[in-house]
Amino acid sequence: MTTAVDSRVSGSAGSSSVPAPFAALGRWLTAADHVRVGASLVAGAFVWAIIAGVVGAVLGFERLDAGSALVDSDALTQLFSAQRFALVFGVLAPLMLGVSVLTVPGQLHASNVSLPRLAAFGWWAWLAGSIVALVSYLGNGGPGGGDERYVETYLLGLALVIVGLVAVSVSVATTVLTRRNGRRLAEIPVGAFAALVSSIGVALTLPVGLGTVAYLWVDFVNARVAFGGADLFDSWLGWLMREPQTLVLAAPALGILADAAVRTARSRQPLRGAVLVGVGVAATVVFSSVTQQVHVFEVGKTPFETVQSFVPFALFNLLPLLAPLIVILLSLLALKAGTPALSAAFVAAFLGAGMQFTGLVGSAAMHVDSLGLVGTTFGEAALVYVVYGAVLSAIGALALHLGSVTGRALPDTPVLLLSLVGFIATVLSSLPHYIAGFLDQPAATAVGYDDSGFVGIANAIVGLGHALMVVVVLAFAGLFAKSRRGDAVADRYTQGAGA
Amino acid sequence: MSVPALSAGPSRRTSTVFVATSFVAAGAASLMGGMLAMWLDFRAKAPTRIASDGVSIIKDWLKKDIAIPEVAATTMMFTFVIACVMAQWAVYSGRRNDKSHTTLALAVTLFTGLALLNVQAALWMQMDIVLRDDAYQTMFYTITGMMFAIIASAVVYSLVAMFRVLAGRTNDNDVLAAHALYWYATYGIFTALWFVVYVQK
Repeated sequence: MTTAVDSRVSGSAGSSSVPAPFAALGRWLTAADHVRVGASLVAGAFVWAIIAGVVGAVLGFERLDAGSALVDSDALTQLFSAQRFALVFGVLAPLMLGVSVLTVPGQLHASNVSLPRLAAFGWWAWLAGSIVALVSYLGNGGPGGGDERYVETYLLGLALVIVGLVAVSVSVATTVLTRRNGRRLAEIPVGAFAALVSSIGVALTLPVGLGTVAYLWVDFVNARVAFGGADLFDSWLGWLMREPQTLVLAAPALGILADAAVRTARSRQPLRGAVLVGVGVAATVVFSSVTQQVHVFEVGKTPFETVQSFVPFALFNLLPLLAPLIVILLSLLALKAGTPALSAAFVAAFLGAGMQFTGLVGSAAMHVDSLGLVGTTFGEAALVYVVYGAVLSAIGALALHLGSVTGRALPDTPVLLLSLVGFIATVLSSLPHYIAGFLDQPAATAVGYDDSGFVGIANAIVGLGHALMVVVVLAFAGLFAKSRRGDAVADRYTQGAGA
Repeated sequence: MSVPALSAGPSRRTSTVFVATSFVAAGAASLMGGMLAMWLDFRAKAPTRIASDGVSIIKDWLKKDIAIPEVAATTMMFTFVIACVMAQWAVYSGRRNDKSHTTLALAVTLFTGLALLNVQAALWMQMDIVLRDDAYQTMFYTITGMMFAIIASAVVYSLVAMFRVLAGRTNDNDVLAAHALYWYATYGIFTALWFVVYVQK
């Protein structure tokens, strides 16, 4: 059971000559409570999900025919880069951190996050940085950009985004460690524990990216003798926006699933310790991220060479797979142990975690040399699986916690239907690129492949999948707005057992 | 009718500021660790040249005409010890509600931090190298500039802590302990940079 927090507490609702809309705007601008900061991050991430979906749809239809060009060929590099930025720093990171800020205090029976002004600073820094990055892409900047001023602007935007996300993660991690009301870490809800794991991972890995951005900026504005020009940015910063780093950002989804399972089953998790271990395994990704190395498994000439190649591959690509696998299996066990009824929160969280697991499996497969998938659309599909999976998990988290946090629960059936449509959208926007990867369609380009046969169709399906995800996000936003205005819906999740 | 007494809460509250400072310090260490790793990677991949002895082959990373002011760099190393001792003295005095000594310790920490920034600036001036010339120069200015920023943040921390004490919050021991932790972390980060950039070169 979580604590209801009235979002109006931070604003003064007394008599004032200021018109109501301006007063509301003023409260929002100066907000330092977890509901407004968390909701702002989630809303901002959903806006970026629409941008990412639109860009993904454009790129899908652009690749339908390798000969014709919907988009200017000079802009393609930036479009691919913009999609990666949008998926990771626009959607995944702020969405998962926003859900954590929104829900963790309630899970811990705390009134607010620790250092709420730091969290608010993080939200504003992320917003400013993401807008600056978007403007830089529009102005022919970003990786591969032709306008030097906007390339510099992109680096500034990325640095601001990183600073903002680290600030929010410090606030979340500090909240979990200092506002447990005397409970041990092993006794807190799995959702809060997963938020802690993810936040620590963000606080430790993103600063490495910030240092790289500093190097790139100093080099770019001067002689470009060390790191090359804008064309090589992705080779230095690419690890920030691919698996397994994305698992660090997506780890809260594991907690959402574990909590949704026990609330749906109305029972306790029989193997709670194992669930915590499973979530903790996600932290091992920190090591693979900061080494910035790609560990490809190759069969060597001798057994020793094979083992030598397999061990780092397994540590950095197979070990992270255990995190979602353990949590998914034990969530199903919790359902078996209890008396479950179909719930939107569980379905969304389960599908979300499943999609993320599929993305991580794809990433691991991509690093098997004999499959020949490096440099194909396989990697793009893995990222889309993880990020859209996180969107489904966030929908599950909002269905699970919104009633207790704001006092206005979401209706279960529409959320359930949206989750299923979102699942279809995720599969459509990624699975065809898994198959196209085996057919050697190159990544991040719209030329240089045979578009006859399945590859052309696959790209069109991917475009449709992204467009469908845009519809899902818009529909969920409409559902949320309707739930705020209409009659209150009974919150079925507040009566469940603790995790 | 008697009312049952509420049970006592946890005996010791975990300090929010201390925990948050730990995370910020860990983030700063991670930032500098990543930058040093890239520095080492570039140095390992640098071409080779014949050393000044005319016999041995060395990496052509640090150019022949660049001299590192080792005295200034090592002076920074030892100046950090003073800053850390003063920061710990502030914790010691704060626990005893000794406002004057706490303020004095924080003031000395603050000015020691300013001295460190001054040494860093002097080191840049003594080296007198042009940023645009080569990868070494570019990375040297970036990594030492980032260290400058981390030291500056520690100085700001000292300033804020000192103002809080001057404003009467003498028993704010959590902030003083967190402040000392941040200085220790900054010292640790500088030690790594000093060894890689100034000693190993």
